[in-house]
Amino acid sequence: MTVLRDWGTMIHKEILESFGHRRFLAVFALAALLTGVLPALSLAHAHSHALGGDLTLFRAIYVLLAAVIVVAQTAPDLVLHERVGRTLDYLLTTRLPDAAIFGSKLVVAAGSGYAAAVLALGVQLVLAALLGHSGWSWLFLALPIGRVAVFGITAGLTVYLAVVGTFVALRIGEQRTAYMATMLSVGVLIAPFALGWLTLTLTATWMSQAALVFGAVAVALALVGLGLLRRERVVLYLQD
Amino acid sequence: MDEGVIACRGLSRSFGSHQALSGLDLTVPRGSVFGFLGPNGAGKTTTVRLLVGLLAPTAGSVAVLGLDPVAHGGQVRARCGVMLDQVGVYDRLTAQQNLEFAARVARLPPRVARERVEALLHRVELWDRRHDHVSGFSKGMRQKLGLARALIAEPDLLILDEPTAGLDPANIVMVRDLLLSLAEESLSVFLCTHLLAEAQRICDTVGILQAGRLLAVGAPGQIGQQGLPAARMVLSGADGRGIRLPAGAALAPLSGGEWRVTMDDAADIEGVVAALVQAGVGVRAVIPEAVSLEETYLKLVGGDGPA
Repeated sequence: MTVLRDWGTMIHKEILESFGHRRFLAVFALAALLTGVLPALSLAHAHSHALGGDLTLFRAIYVLLAAVIVVAQTAPDLVLHERVGRTLDYLLTTRLPDAAIFGSKLVVAAGSGYAAAVLALGVQLVLAALLGHSGWSWLFLALPIGRVAVFGITAGLTVYLAVVGTFVALRIGEQRTAYMATMLSVGVLIAPFALGWLTLTLTATWMSQAALVFGAVAVALALVGLGLLRRERVVLYLQD
Repeated sequence: MDEGVIACRGLSRSFGSHQALSGLDLTVPRGSVFGFLGPNGAGKTTTVRLLVGLLAPTAGSVAVLGLDPVAHGGQVRARCGVMLDQVGVYDRLTAQQNLEFAARVARLPPRVARERVEALLHRVELWDRRHDHVSGFSKGMRQKLGLARALIAEPDLLILDEPTAGLDPANIVMVRDLLLSLAEESLSVFLCTHLLAEAQRICDTVGILQAGRLLAVGAPGQIGQQGLPAARMVLSGADGRGIRLPAGAALAPLSGGEWRVTMDDAADIEGVVAALVQAGVGVRAVIPEAVSLEETYLKLVGGDGPA
């Protein structure tokens, strides 16, 4: 119970800080709005019907993009502003467990990315309704693989990026570099497909399995990361 | 037996080949204000980190409030209020939100937290600015907020690293008075400071650290004198040169006909005066000399003063 309370304390603080920060709000709103509006502008209703389900599914990428933009910005920022402001040193001198200090950052970074993705999806739905399309069927949500992509893959992606962004920010003390490094880590996910080690198969079964495996890997990465983030190690990082 | 709030035995810490702290033996009694003095890089911050379990010793042991900070770090930190040299307060939160967060971290019940936040904001004179974001605060205001935060859980031990750094004289006085009032409340305080005059006024005991080694420990007015009291004398008729003095006493000339006498024991002053009178030297005045902490510090550290 006390562990949950510590996590709650930290998560509450991170949310309070993030949503009280103008840049976070701007990035969050812009990412959700752009990725919500762009599909409607870039693809006409008639085209999407003519080109079939694959192109409809393509719009799911915009939702993933909203999550990537927000998490890549938020995860390093949650650590870096504590480093720069020396509040991380304060947190380390408190009774808070190591896992609550860093785990809360992962939760809030991943959560804000997921929220941005859902908001982008909402904007797409509203636009679809306003433009007089058939709403649900106009969107990838009508397809099972579309739902897996937008809800499953996005969840794994946000956790993965939150872990990478947090670790990168502990090692790299500069905002832009940490942001770029986190963005580039998406390339690591694309590499196996680009190198031909894996083949993307647009079936519901394959996508579901991929989402499960990716989610499990991301969560395992987070658990290993939190296990490694001991106070003494962090102090030595900061000292360096 | 009371081991004190802090007990270090041969405490050492190295980083690679650099020995940051070497064989620190120190006991800080309960309810005392201990001043830890030393230049930059002396090992003060490393000591603070060892005390709160942020670093493990490479040799020796440390007990804080009777607990090993490495094995029981959470318990030690829960009972210590810590304010580091560069006080980190949340710029994106208000002063009140900063303290409310600290209260939640300390797991205070909501009603107690509210009362304590209000009392502390009044105590550090930030009540009128409680709804302002800390980003607009001066360094002095941040220091005061950091101090309030360190006190939020009513700790058994307060560890302060340069609490007056960067403060203007008025705020230094405010912090000093606050520390004095805490000392009157019998709160144990471990104070790293560079203000020797403040340390002399506030601390019951001080320790001087240089290059990771503790050079001396004692009361501010006595530390480093190795039991050698001193006095200034105004002589007439002749000077003190060549006069046979009691064992353990020595005279050295000062300016304006004054001489400085050092003795093994303050009681020896009578023997010194008798020897001078017997040698035909008039003793017009004997002024007991209190050695300032600053003099002692400079003598021991041999530098330009603490950083």
